Amino acid sequence: MITLENDRLVLRFSDIHGDARCAIEFQRTLRIPDDDRDYPLPPGLGRFPLRHLDDHAPRLPEQWRRRGGVIAPIHQAEAMWINFEADSGYPFAVKIATGKICALTGDGWVDHLNSDPQDYVVLPEQPWLDGYCVERGVIRQFVAMPLGDGYTVEEQLTGAARHGGLQIVVYPMKRERYRQLLARDLDRSRPLSAEAPILQAPSAIGLAPGGRMKQEVYDDPHGLDAWDQRHGARCFITLANSTQWLAITGERPPTVPPTAKQYTEAGFPWFEWYGGDAVAVAGAEKFKSLASVTQLGKAKGEEPLPENETTEVPHIIGLGSGGVRPVREYPADETGG
Amino acid sequence: MTHFGSAIRNRREHLRQKDRRYSLRQVALRIGIEPAYLSKIERCDVAPPSEATTIRLARELGEDPDVLLALAGKVSSDLQEIIRKRPRLFAELIRQLKEVPDHAILRVVREVRDGEW
Repeated sequence: MITLENDRLVLRFSDIHGDARCAIEFQRTLRIPDDDRDYPLPPGLGRFPLRHLDDHAPRLPEQWRRRGGVIAPIHQAEAMWINFEADSGYPFAVKIATGKICALTGDGWVDHLNSDPQDYVVLPEQPWLDGYCVERGVIRQFVAMPLGDGYTVEEQLTGAARHGGLQIVVYPMKRERYRQLLARDLDRSRPLSAEAPILQAPSAIGLAPGGRMKQEVYDDPHGLDAWDQRHGARCFITLANSTQWLAITGERPPTVPPTAKQYTEAGFPWFEWYGGDAVAVAGAEKFKSLASVTQLGKAKGEEPLPENETTEVPHIIGLGSGGVRPVREYPADETGG
Repeated sequence: MTHFGSAIRNRREHLRQKDRRYSLRQVALRIGIEPAYLSKIERCDVAPPSEATTIRLARELGEDPDVLLALAGKVSSDLQEIIRKRPRLFAELIRQLKEVPDHAILRVVREVRDGEW
């Protein structure tokens, strides 16, 4: 089952095992420059708000209502990354798609998992995913663009602007495999009035490939057979622009994040993650034909990404894989005791 | 009953065996308190710290903030706010659920609905 707790999707598979729980959250972040340089990991600037879609059903078009799931606000050209938490250590396979295109392989959505090529990430090994896996060790950042302008991955690969948003499905490891693993590792709302206007023909938001970032997507160390595909849980995350969000929920969306340049010039750090001996998967063949938002904008004579200057990154914090996983957190100046 | 201070100390020491960044001094500095104060907290010489510090400590040590707050004898301010809005209803609900097993409680939690897509 999936519940919504403090803007996180919390997944529990109590029928499988008491430890089988994980959480997924969507982090606000800097948009890295889309200039064909490889950038380190930008910080997390806090979670995107998430709301049950059903709570706002009277104001939503039928197509959105049918999907169920949750809704999140995002500004045009804003970036996001997906944070995975599996603190109990129970392994999960998580498939992520945008516009129903798999973020690892570029293939169209299917609920089940595939291993060749691998179309899912494995928790807890994979701490986060910031974008589309375009090469081994390189992703292109998830950047929000209006569906219909041709920039999203969905539109570039299928020629159609139908879905937008994000889709996830999560499968826990089979109980027996987890027991074997344990044995082996022992030593190591608010109501809306009936007259509320329905959003007419809303232009949905989709995700498009932005700047390049150094990030590895790890190979499945357990094998496809380890996953209990009879007990998955999936969710559609509809993305709304800030105007839509205000009209739908009555809440103000978060402010626009700082630019990469502003953040860096203020002396705040970027991050690098060392995954130890984990093996990274290769980039998707289908993503080789993708143009980034800036590349496509140039071809169309548009400037879709404002403030896209190259940024020098002098301060990088290395995050290791030992101990508990450090959080890529905005270094807020907090004190007190 | 587990004491807040000893729970913190055990967890931090466990992490420090793998990673020296979990020394008392470094953890204290990362969460914005004096090392001497964290030492007193761990020895139970002082009362558990404020809610904000407890939450920072929980995040730093990879623990659930609600669990650490409970060990500190506190309830997070967001939960207090929820209860304050409908005190009778939530007091009754919590009392009724007192002996109910976890899996049954989870059935009353609202699920995110999956639809057609």
